[in-house]
Amino acid sequence: MPGAIELRGVTLVRRTQEEFHYDLKRTVFDLLRGRMRAIRRRTVLDGIDATIDHGEKIGVIGANGSGKSTILKLMAGVLEPTRGTVRTQGTIAPLIELGVGFEPELTLEENIIFYGVLLGHAEALVRASVDEILDFAELSEVRDAPTKTLSSGMGARLGFAIATQWRPDILLLDEVLAVGDERFRRKCGARLDRFWDAHSTIVVVSHDMEYIKRTCRRVIWVDHGTVRFDGESAEGVERYLKSVPSGEYVRGEELIAVASRHARGEIVVRGTSPTDQGRKVFLIREGRRHWVTSPAWYEKAGYGWDDIVHVDDTAILEVPEGDVLA
Amino acid sequence: MVTTISAPPDQLRSRRLVDLVRISATRALKVRYRGTVLGILWSFANPVLMTVIYSAIFGTAFSKYYDGSVGRYVVSAFVGLVAVTFFLSSTSESLQAIVSGGSLLNKIALPPLVFPLSIVAANVFQQAVTTFPIVFVLSIVLTHDPVRVLLVPVVLAAIVMLTAGVSIALSVLFVFFRDLPHVWNIFGFILWLTSPLFYPVALVPANLRFWYALNPVGQAIAALREVAIVRGPLDLNPIVATVFAGAVALAAGAWLYRMTRREFMDLI
Repeated sequence: MPGAIELRGVTLVRRTQEEFHYDLKRTVFDLLRGRMRAIRRRTVLDGIDATIDHGEKIGVIGANGSGKSTILKLMAGVLEPTRGTVRTQGTIAPLIELGVGFEPELTLEENIIFYGVLLGHAEALVRASVDEILDFAELSEVRDAPTKTLSSGMGARLGFAIATQWRPDILLLDEVLAVGDERFRRKCGARLDRFWDAHSTIVVVSHDMEYIKRTCRRVIWVDHGTVRFDGESAEGVERYLKSVPSGEYVRGEELIAVASRHARGEIVVRGTSPTDQGRKVFLIREGRRHWVTSPAWYEKAGYGWDDIVHVDDTAILEVPEGDVLA
Repeated sequence: MVTTISAPPDQLRSRRLVDLVRISATRALKVRYRGTVLGILWSFANPVLMTVIYSAIFGTAFSKYYDGSVGRYVVSAFVGLVAVTFFLSSTSESLQAIVSGGSLLNKIALPPLVFPLSIVAANVFQQAVTTFPIVFVLSIVLTHDPVRVLLVPVVLAAIVMLTAGVSIALSVLFVFFRDLPHVWNIFGFILWLTSPLFYPVALVPANLRFWYALNPVGQAIAALREVAIVRGPLDLNPIVATVFAGAVALAAGAWLYRMTRREFMDLI
């Protein structure tokens, strides 16, 4: 029996962002002058192979821009591979960029019906579920209000509620666990757990390594558009964290100087020291180092892996110790 | 049941396309008429107002080309305006459709074709409850010719095909050329002037007639007038030309879409 999702030699070549602006005028002039600008392209994914079985829960990890979300979009059918094949089996609920795409002038109810049908459900089924969806999103009172009156958080809540109303065969999650406030986030988590316990196949893209390790038995580590690791999640996360993403090496006073030059006056550093066991991550703020104990802290503080500066062993010791950030 | 994203069965795919176009067209109509008092009656406003203005200014002067009847001029102008306003408003609204649908296309697997088609569908619906029935009634009242009355839907369908084909092509081209709206504005104005809307074809110099006849919208107007107003022996030429233009436009739009659609997602 084939897997729920199969990627075979998936390569994706896309136009680079600089090519976004086209116009007829320039094209006609270029034609007249006999020199068409060659289209610049970039290989975003290069020969990705993966088979995900029915009911499997898989984490996709990797640095920003490594191609994680692109893989999710290929699975969702939003993008098509340049070479290779993507096969999926069953219904898909893509939880990608929630809340984008509502029509601001229409009421919540009208948007729910529109969105539900776009997601592939029958209109009658969606109509029958409007109450439940609004109820879950805690937006029942504003049912007939134009959607433009919602805050972005409310929009994301509504998007989540619609996309998760029906149990999909395949659930694609792109960092959406940060929906709404803490309480609502827990509610979303509970709803997803239902899918998690059921037979849904789940693919989750996240920077939250603890979450990945806790919820997925298998991870795929994507690096520069290729699969660097595919296997047991604890090992994958460890290898990923050990790999040194691009960054600068600085030390001592220089570290504090770099931190104060940083837009927020802070800098995240990573390194080892003789007294600390293994690699640790610290935040340098106002000349003091704060120990970052949980990867979840990155999400909360809004830092990405690109904000990490790598230091050698002794550098961290030269900065006075501060508190612990969880 | 097995469904594969890369190659769903044709039947399922076209069924889904119809569903998507229907729901998107409904959405477009709801947005358009939200908070308007006249609602869908606005569709009348454009052709009716233009007919009034043209008739007031040119009606008497040109009446000699219309059997000396201002009434015939009025009817002729109205029928022409129905075709042209439908064509121009549908095409210029569709132009940005695929690009505007970008945020949805980037998160849900949808055929981009849905967006221009739903705008054309919304416009068809709008005219189908306002101006199109009037053309039908005119045909019954003015021609007393069952063949012409039966040909009204054929000509209207050909005009819809022509409009849909051009709309698809424009929305595809806009993905690549973002200055297209300016070009299409000018083009629309040229089309307006080179179509026999408010003047009789008899005024066009004989040496320009050949080029003049190449304007498919002009042919569509002539065809619609032929089935809705004209009496006497039926001239099939403009009708055949319009059906042909509709088929060609639709095929060309579909071809352009098919050739380029793989590139869309990199640009929207």
